[in-house]
Amino acid sequence: MFLFDTLSAVFTVLILLGIVPNLFYSFGYLPHIKRKTHYLIHYFGFILSMIGVVISANALVFLFFWELMSLTSWQLILTEPKDKENLFAARFYFFMTHLGFVCLLLFFLIISNGDINQSFSALKAIASHFAYPTLLFFFLIFGLLSKAGAVPLHVWLPYAHPQAPSPVSALMSGVMLKIALYGLFRFLFDILYPWPLQWGVVILIIGAISSLVGVLYALSEHDIKALLANHSIENIGIILIAFGMGMIFDTLHLPLLSAFAFIAALFHIFNHMSFKSLLFMGAGSVLHQTNTKNMEKYGGLIKTMPITAITFLIAAISISALPPSNGFLSEWMIFQSLLSSSHINIMTLKLTIPFAIFALALTGGLAIACFVKAYGITFLGLHRSTNAKHATEVNSLMKIGMILMALVVISLMLLAPIYIHYFSNTLVSLGKADVYHKIFPHGIWQMHSVGVNGGVVSPLILLIALLGITFLLIFAYKALHVKERIYKTWACGYRTSSRTQYSSTGFAGPIRRFFTWLYKPQEHLNTEKVKGHNTIFTSSHYAVHVKPLFEVSLYTSLVRLTNITSYWVYRFAHFEQRRYVAIIFNLLLMVLFSYRIFSHQFSWATFAIETVVMIITIKILVIGDKK
Amino acid sequence: MILYLSTIILLIVISPLLLSFITQIKMFITFKKPISIFQGYRNFSKLMSKETIISEETSAVTRVAPFLILSPLLIVLFLLPPIVKGAYYVSFVDAFTITGLISLSTFFLMLLGLDSASSFGGMGSSREAFISALVEPAMILTVFSVSMMAGNLGIGQAGVNLASSFPQKHMASFLFSAISFFILLIAENGRIPVDNPQTHLEVTMIHEAMILDITGVYLAIVEMASSIKFIIFASLFASLFMPFGLQFSIPVALVIFIAKLLIICIAIALLEIGTAKLRLFKVPNLLGISIVFAFLSLITFYVLGA
Repeated sequence: MFLFDTLSAVFTVLILLGIVPNLFYSFGYLPHIKRKTHYLIHYFGFILSMIGVVISANALVFLFFWELMSLTSWQLILTEPKDKENLFAARFYFFMTHLGFVCLLLFFLIISNGDINQSFSALKAIASHFAYPTLLFFFLIFGLLSKAGAVPLHVWLPYAHPQAPSPVSALMSGVMLKIALYGLFRFLFDILYPWPLQWGVVILIIGAISSLVGVLYALSEHDIKALLANHSIENIGIILIAFGMGMIFDTLHLPLLSAFAFIAALFHIFNHMSFKSLLFMGAGSVLHQTNTKNMEKYGGLIKTMPITAITFLIAAISISALPPSNGFLSEWMIFQSLLSSSHINIMTLKLTIPFAIFALALTGGLAIACFVKAYGITFLGLHRSTNAKHATEVNSLMKIGMILMALVVISLMLLAPIYIHYFSNTLVSLGKADVYHKIFPHGIWQMHSVGVNGGVVSPLILLIALLGITFLLIFAYKALHVKERIYKTWACGYRTSSRTQYSSTGFAGPIRRFFTWLYKPQEHLNTEKVKGHNTIFTSSHYAVHVKPLFEVSLYTSLVRLTNITSYWVYRFAHFEQRRYVAIIFNLLLMVLFSYRIFSHQFSWATFAIETVVMIITIKILVIGDKK
Repeated sequence: MILYLSTIILLIVISPLLLSFITQIKMFITFKKPISIFQGYRNFSKLMSKETIISEETSAVTRVAPFLILSPLLIVLFLLPPIVKGAYYVSFVDAFTITGLISLSTFFLMLLGLDSASSFGGMGSSREAFISALVEPAMILTVFSVSMMAGNLGIGQAGVNLASSFPQKHMASFLFSAISFFILLIAENGRIPVDNPQTHLEVTMIHEAMILDITGVYLAIVEMASSIKFIIFASLFASLFMPFGLQFSIPVALVIFIAKLLIICIAIALLEIGTAKLRLFKVPNLLGISIVFAFLSLITFYVLGA
C-alpha cells in the first residue's frame, strides 16, 4: 500500500522543507482567520494528503490521496467565502482539478485492466502491451498538468491562489504543484518508459509556452498574489523545459545529458518551492498588514517591514535567476542542457531548440522586469495609501516562518553540491546515468555542464567574490568619511509625493504596449467634466484590464460553443411528431438518390432536379413556415 | 597572474577615457570645441569631493545599491578573455554567468531608480526593464552561436580559441553574430539610437532618469559602473569578433587591443552622429533585428555549416 523509495524520499524532503516554515507562518497567521477549526482540519489534512500521494504504492491509494489533496485545498480556498470572486475561484478550481482527476482515473483504469489495486510495478507490463501508448501519455499529462498549471490548463491558478489564505497559497504554489510533477517522474519513468521522441518535444513545447505566457501575464497583474500565481505557471514551464530536454536526450541515447537535464528539473522544483513559498509568505505579510492585494496601494514598506522586505528581496533575486542565487544555478543547468542540443543529430530538432532557448532567455529577462516591479512598487518609494502608511512588521511567528524559508533558499544556494548529489542518486535509482562526478569533477568549487566543451560556473566563488567586493567598496566608502546629508533632492523641480510615483500599471506600461496583441488591454480613462466640457481635472481615473487570452479563447468560447450546440440539440429534439416523419422521409429520399448516383450513372440534370426536390421537401416538411 | 591583474587595472583606468573619446569625436565632427579626453577623470574627482545628499524619501536600498551596481561588473572584468599572450585568464566561466552578473547590476540600478519616489526614477526603471528584458534573449543566442564556432562555451577560452584558429569556413554566421552583438553593445550601454547619455530631456532619458536623485560619491560609483559596463562590452567585442593580435609580444598586443577599442569607439561615435534617437517603442524593432541575426547565425551554422 505504501512505498518509500528514493523518489518518494526526495519529494518527502521537498514537502517537509516547504511545510516546516509554513507551520510557523500559519500559526502566526491564525488570528487573522475566523473559521479556525475548519482551517486547521483542512490544513493538516492537506499536508497529510500530499505526503500520502508521494508515498503511495498503488493506483487506488494514489488516487485517494490525490483527491483528498484536491478537496482539502478546495476547502482551504473557501476559508473565507466573502464574495463572489472567492466562490468563483473555488468552483473553477474544483472543476479543473476534477477534470484532471478523471483523466488520471482513465489512465489508471486502462493500464491496470480495471483492477486499480495493483502496485505500480505490476502496471508496467499491461501498459507496455497497450496498443496506443500516446493516448496513455496524453491522459497522464492532461491529468497531471491540469494540477501543475501548465498552459493551456493553467487558467485556474491566477484565480485560486490569490483567494486562499496566504500560508495556503504558499503551500499550494510551492508544494502542491510539485506533487503533480512527482507524478510525471513516477509514471513516465516507471510505467510508460520507452518514450517516443515526440513526447519529449510535446513537453518541451508546453514548457516553453507556459514560461512565456506565465511571465507575460504576471507582468500585467497588479494583484500581488495573482502576480505570484502567474509566476508559478512560468516556473512550471521552466521545469517542463528541463524535463522535456531530459526526455529528448534519453530517447536519443545521450544518457549523461539526459540525467543532467532531469537533475536541473529536480533542482528547479526545489528552488521554486523555496522562493515561491517565501514570496507568498512575504506577500501574505504585506496583505495582512495593509488589508489589500492591490499593489497600487503599497509603497515604502521597507521602512516599516524590514524583515519582510529583506526576505522578499532574497526570493526576488532568486526567482529572477540572478547570480549567485539558487534560481540562477538551476536555470544555468537548464540553459546548459539546452545548449548541449548541438550534440543532437536530427536537424529539425536542432533548429527548434534555439526557440526554446529564446523563450527561456526572454522569460528570464521579463522575470527580472516583473520582480523589479513587484519589489520596487511594494517596498520602495513612498506609501501610496493610508493602509500602507500604518503597516507595521508582522508578528514574530510569521517572521520566523519567513526567516526559516529564507534559510531554505540560502541553503539551496550554498549546499547546491549536496542537493545535486542527492538528486543524482535519485536518478541512478530510477535507472539513469550517474553524473554527479561529471558535474563536480574537481570538488565543489566548480560546476560543470556535462556537454562536450560545456560551460562552467562556480557559485560559491561568485558569491564570495560578490560579497567581498561589495564589502570592500562599502568599507572604502566609509573610510573616505564622506559627508552625508539627508535632504530633498531635485527631481526635476517637481514636488515628490506618493501620487507622482510610478504605479505598477505604469511600470509595466512599455511592456504592455509592446505585447498589445497578446494582452488586448481594455483601458478606461475617466476625467471629471463640468457641463460636458473638459476641465483641468481635479480627479481622474485610469484603469487597464488585461484579457486572459487562453481563458477567453479556449474556455469561454468552449462554453459558448456548448451553449449553441445545446440550443440546436434542443431545437431538433423538440419537433412535433409530424416533423420526425418528415425527417425520416427526407432521409429516405436522400438514400435513394445517392444510391442511384453512386451505383448507376451520374448526370448533372438529374442531380440538379434531385437537389431541388430535396430542398423543397426539407423546406416544406421539416422547417415549415416561419413563425 | 601579474599580467592578469594589471590588464584588469588597465581596463578600469582606461574605461572613462573611452566614453570621453566618443564625445570628443562627436564634438569634433559637429565643429564644436572638443572636450578634453580626461573629462571622465575630472568628473569623477569632482563627484568624489562632493558631499553626498540622500533624498528624504529613500530607504536603505539607496545606500547599498550603488555598491551592488558596481561589484558584479567588477567581477565580470575578471572573467574576460585575455588581451595579451601568456596572461592568466578564467577560461571556464560561460556567457550565461556574465549576462547574469550584468543583469544583477541592472536589477539594483532599477531598484535605485524606484527608491527615490520621483516619477523620473520610475520612468527610467520601467524603460530600462523593458529594454533589458528584450536584450537578454539576443545576448544568449548570439554568444551561443559564437561559442559554437569557437568550440567552447567558456568566454575566456572562446576568445583564445578564436584568436589561435579563426573559423574561416564559418565566416557567414560569424558576421551575423557580430552584427547582432554590436546592436546589443549599443542597447546595453544606452547609446544613440537606444538612449542618449547626454540628454536630460524627460521624454527620452533612460539611464540618466534612474540616477537623477543621487549625487556625490554614489553618482561617481554609478558613473564608473556605466563606463566599466561599456568597456566590458567593447572588450568582449574586440576579443570575440576581432580575434587577432593575441600572438604578438605584449606591447604590440596591447597597442592592437587599444586600437581595436578605439575603432569600436569611432564606429559608435559615427553611428551616433548619423542617426537620431529612436522612439522607445521603436527600440524593440532594433532589438528584434539583433535577435533575427542571432537566429540567422545559428541556422547558417547548423544548416549550411558556413
